[in-house]
Amino acid sequence: MPLLKALTRIGSFAAKELVEVVRRPGAFVSLVIGPFLIMALFGLGYNGYRRPLNAVFVLPPQAGLSRDPATYQRLAGPAVHVVAVTPDAAAADQELRDKKIDLVVIAPADMRQRLLQGQQSAITVEYNETDPIRAGSAAILASQLSDQVNREIIKDVVLKGEQTPAGQVAGAASIPPDVVAQPTVAKPVNIAPTSPTLVLFFAPAVLALILQHMGVTLTALSLVRERLSGAMELFRISPASPVEILLGKYLGFAILSGVIALVTMSLMVGVLGVPDLGQSGLLALIVALLVFASLGLGLLISVIADSERQAVQLSLLVLLASVFFGGLVLPLTEFHPLLRDAAYALPVTAAISLLQDWMLRGSLLRPWELGVLAGLGLLLFVLTALRLQRVVRHA
Amino acid sequence: MGWRAPEDPREEPGDDLATAPTVDGPEVVGVDRAVAGREDDSAPPGCGDDCVIALSGVTRRFDELLAVDHVTLSVARGTILGLIGPSGSGKTTTIRTVTGSLAPTSGTVRVLGEDPTRFRASTRERIGYMPQHFVLYPDLTASENVDFVAALFGMLYPRRRRRVREVLQLVELWDARGRRASRLSGGMQRRLELACAMVHEPDLLLLDEPTAGIDPILRQAVWGELHRLRDDGRTLLVTTQYVGEAEHCDRVALIGGGRLVALGTPDDLRRQALGGDLLWVETEEAVDPRTLPSIEGVDSIRQHGPRELMLVTVDAGETSPRVVDAFSRRGITVTTTREERPSFDEIFVRLLEQQTPAGQPSEQAATEARGRDAAA
Repeated sequence: MPLLKALTRIGSFAAKELVEVVRRPGAFVSLVIGPFLIMALFGLGYNGYRRPLNAVFVLPPQAGLSRDPATYQRLAGPAVHVVAVTPDAAAADQELRDKKIDLVVIAPADMRQRLLQGQQSAITVEYNETDPIRAGSAAILASQLSDQVNREIIKDVVLKGEQTPAGQVAGAASIPPDVVAQPTVAKPVNIAPTSPTLVLFFAPAVLALILQHMGVTLTALSLVRERLSGAMELFRISPASPVEILLGKYLGFAILSGVIALVTMSLMVGVLGVPDLGQSGLLALIVALLVFASLGLGLLISVIADSERQAVQLSLLVLLASVFFGGLVLPLTEFHPLLRDAAYALPVTAAISLLQDWMLRGSLLRPWELGVLAGLGLLLFVLTALRLQRVVRHA
Repeated sequence: MGWRAPEDPREEPGDDLATAPTVDGPEVVGVDRAVAGREDDSAPPGCGDDCVIALSGVTRRFDELLAVDHVTLSVARGTILGLIGPSGSGKTTTIRTVTGSLAPTSGTVRVLGEDPTRFRASTRERIGYMPQHFVLYPDLTASENVDFVAALFGMLYPRRRRRVREVLQLVELWDARGRRASRLSGGMQRRLELACAMVHEPDLLLLDEPTAGIDPILRQAVWGELHRLRDDGRTLLVTTQYVGEAEHCDRVALIGGGRLVALGTPDDLRRQALGGDLLWVETEEAVDPRTLPSIEGVDSIRQHGPRELMLVTVDAGETSPRVVDAFSRRGITVTTTREERPSFDEIFVRLLEQQTPAGQPSEQAATEARGRDAAA
């Protein structure tokens, strides 16, 4: 009998929990549909495709090498797309700094002479990457490219050797074996202002994610509680307008977020040693826009959620979506273009890119992302204000 | 400050104790026939330019449920109207139509001369509201909560600081000002909400069950404060399920099942429920009421014992000397006469019974009403 009573008590809790969940359709739907939707979007939108690196080959005029891009495309293989072959090293370098291209391959002017003199030549491969993973890939590509060039040179020398007078062949025979085997070596050069480690590279992205998640979570619960407690009825009677209520919320949470951002960034830069190359004014603007948009997202959740439970679920879904689609783990370039654009609906997407560029490069490669973040923040503010107006009117 | 005498000029003593039937709407008893009039009256008369609140034929439905049924009433400036009825009778729905939170399904509501669903900000500043449930912030202290509400109504800091202190002292929470609201007792939380409703010195106070859940002594104190506010010229609409609190109101609207059962001053409603004033008479000798002559001002006589009689009179005060005189002329010595004042609980039940169709117990009507308000 005691066992039966205990089972009855356990059963009562189990039934109560199930009924409570089912009785809140919003929470139930977001619980089931939300993660499924994210997984489905990920499955449909992630193609894992890594586009070839755009490269410009710089060949000095006196090098006497072919100027046909097809020749070098064949050498470089599918991982590299040879955009142009040019003698202008400065122009190619500028394009690389502007991130219009990914690689600049610079061949030495006297490669043939150096070989005949028994000296190795260096093929300089420049790239502009703060991402240590992509920088590593570029270095490997440079090495592969050098190997291909060596193979071609050796083949060329052997072919020409058969048609060369005996005296020249005797001269060639004096070339050291290691130079014969590897006439060129790759000299990868990363021209990015910093080459952070993996941890330091992801630090600005994690900061963006923390600030967004904190902003969303704090605000998502704020208005829900007031709606459920009946405080909205008090607001309804008071002269406070929905916009005033909203601005007050923004201000309060912005101060809190600002303090947390300041402390976190100080620790990141001062203790972890994360590079901070940009001016603090623009950095503050990026953080402010991120906080503005994140608070808007949280407040929007707050005015549409039917319970605290659903508000928490939606906040976690935003976090999940941010990890998948925000560019934190997987580069946006590996997603379908539509999903890539849609990812900018998450404040963290633009913020990660902006913070990484500004802190690790000291410049913005995509300044338009500032506009995207500001626009998103404004849109969320307007949507929340409209919804709150309705909520207060019916309080 | 306690119960106000009925001769107060702000009151509107009725001249007709009879039931005042309406044509289409529910039957309303009481003296304020002009106020609790027909549902299609465009505006409830009764207070003219002094009308702070005017409900005219207000009905509020929630799908099929009728929560408020053709309620017409008004509240004059500087008076307390008690909206009294059992739990689930439609009080909160009525007060929410006054706050503008609910638009009436039909009928009109005017508060401070405006439609509550379209209050201007300056009008809102003149209204204080105390909801039925605790809606303040549990993590804020008592004084922080009051300060927040004061700021919500646009009070600037110097005045706010003074008023926060004043109202907290008034509701005897000054000593607990530093305690978080979550750590206050239920009664203290109600007082805190009352303080919040009063802090900006509103002209109109809408209080939804301000005395619910607090002890009788404190309830008296709260009513004392409400009387002080009234005497200060403020207008109060107060709901309560404690029928006995009708005594504290200038006028009372008894509500049951969403319908206005009666409207008038407490004395008038008492007369209406009982048929007049009750006069208790004790004599030295045994009396047979059938042998007594007709006495001016006495409607009926009921015998409670050989020497105890209960007389239903038009006015107990005026009739009492005539009764003594008539009895003595019959050789009967009257030893005691006193006006009987039955509790308002009894009066409410009688009024509700008068409104309930034959064979339908009032409890059943109250239960139905409860169901309606639960939906509200």
